[in-house]
Amino acid sequence: MAENEAKKEALKKDLTKLSRKDLWKLYIYSQGFVSGFNYEKQEAPGFTFSMIPVIEKVYKNEEDKKDAYRRHTELFLTEARLSHFVIGVTAAMEERNANEHDIDPVSINAIKAALMGPLAGIGDSLYHGTLRPIIAGLAVSMVMASNYTSVLGPIIFLLVMAGVGQLLRYFGIFKGYEKGVEFVGAMQSSGLIGKLTRLAGIAAFTVIGGFVYKFVTINIPWSYTAGETVVSLQSTLDGIMPGMLPLLYTLLMLWLMNKKKANPVILMLVTMVIGILGHLAGIL
Amino acid sequence: MSLLVKAILVALFTWLTFFDKYCTQFFTYRPIVVGPIVGLIMGDVRMGLEVGCIIELMFLGQVFVGTALPPEETFSTIIATAFACISGSTEVALATALPLAIIGQIGMYFRNMVLCVWTQHRLEAAVEKGSRRGITMNCIVWPNIFNLILFAVPVFLAVFFGAGPVQAIINVIPQVVIDGLAIGGGMIGAVGLALLLKCINVKNIWFYFLIGFFFSSFLNINPIGITIIAVVCVAVAYYTDRDKGVA
Repeated sequence: MAENEAKKEALKKDLTKLSRKDLWKLYIYSQGFVSGFNYEKQEAPGFTFSMIPVIEKVYKNEEDKKDAYRRHTELFLTEARLSHFVIGVTAAMEERNANEHDIDPVSINAIKAALMGPLAGIGDSLYHGTLRPIIAGLAVSMVMASNYTSVLGPIIFLLVMAGVGQLLRYFGIFKGYEKGVEFVGAMQSSGLIGKLTRLAGIAAFTVIGGFVYKFVTINIPWSYTAGETVVSLQSTLDGIMPGMLPLLYTLLMLWLMNKKKANPVILMLVTMVIGILGHLAGIL
Repeated sequence: MSLLVKAILVALFTWLTFFDKYCTQFFTYRPIVVGPIVGLIMGDVRMGLEVGCIIELMFLGQVFVGTALPPEETFSTIIATAFACISGSTEVALATALPLAIIGQIGMYFRNMVLCVWTQHRLEAAVEKGSRRGITMNCIVWPNIFNLILFAVPVFLAVFFGAGPVQAIINVIPQVVIDGLAIGGGMIGAVGLALLLKCINVKNIWFYFLIGFFFSSFLNINPIGITIIAVVCVAVAYYTDRDKGVA
């Protein structure tokens, strides 16, 4: 009996578990996550590179390592900060596969693929669609308020964006490893993702509404004389609603993109041309 | 500093920002950060801040959705800021920002569609051979060398050789067109903001957009104030939803 226990202990020691140090190594390697991005397998090179410390640690023989590397060269694509959650989860699965051999290696890629969709959705809308434009807009208005002398705005922008991004990566790897796939499942079934997306959407819409007035400028210099007085069209419009033209122009752009499937880059070019032609014609 | 030294420093900075764009992602590659840093190298931080703000607003709504590439704001800002500092006017930046962004976008497509597909294949071959060096080379080293060749080298050439010719071309363009560019530049933010609105896929929140707009337009509240109002709106929505859940 005691002999058996001793054997078990010895076996356990032989098992290769990832330590906190290994997870930190994973965090460093995973910084290269988007490097090598391509249109065939997307973020696969970054994923493969990130997994180096895990694969080298948990697998003992060369064939197993090769199999592990091979499966991570397959297509992977999600938002580049939340992807670290998948890296954490995958590290846990690789470790289990190496030690207990009780999961089908094919399922590792299946789970990776299943996590891609929801994470990309919240990552793109919360981080790129909400946080980044809000902080960038604030930074720009701070710089403008200082009459282009203060670099405080850009510094705050960097601190917030880099800080949040790296925190997401850190928690993704450590929590993903610890809590595993169930965590995402629980988040989805509790409706937390949906709620967060809605609240972020509200914040973004409010701020974007403000930005339309602040950061889109359209003035019509045209004026006419009514009896003795010169009436400027712009001040008439401003009298009705300040920023009416920027609002209408923004909504027009939105309509063209939504209903006419207009390409945003073409719309930007057209806008520049409108600016030039309008100014030549004397209406802008 | 001579122009040669400046051009080399700006090119090295370009390489760093592209490393950041594809690796650490500290957001040093956004116009609002790139502008003042290039301005500092070129000896005119104020001009850098001004150009950074102009281009940041142009691309404020730039969202990377799926795999479609937006115009390359970093490449554009770096060269446009350097040009503006050399010529001492923001007009050059206004005239060159969008075309440069589109050139950068083409470079990025070439990188992602051709060069990095090539390293992807080399990576798969390296895995089959069990070559650790091959994995590192094709995942990290080659892609960063591509960034150096595709973006940093052109930046060097543009800054070192391009400012004179570009200034000559700008001088030929009539003032009325330059002014028109500034007017178009003022309007262009509308496209980005519309793009943001389009990408945020939440139903029935239109009136929040109007709240933000009206506070800003009728009451002339600054963006910090608007952000505070946004926080209040989120709080109201949160508690309303929660109370609905209880009832």
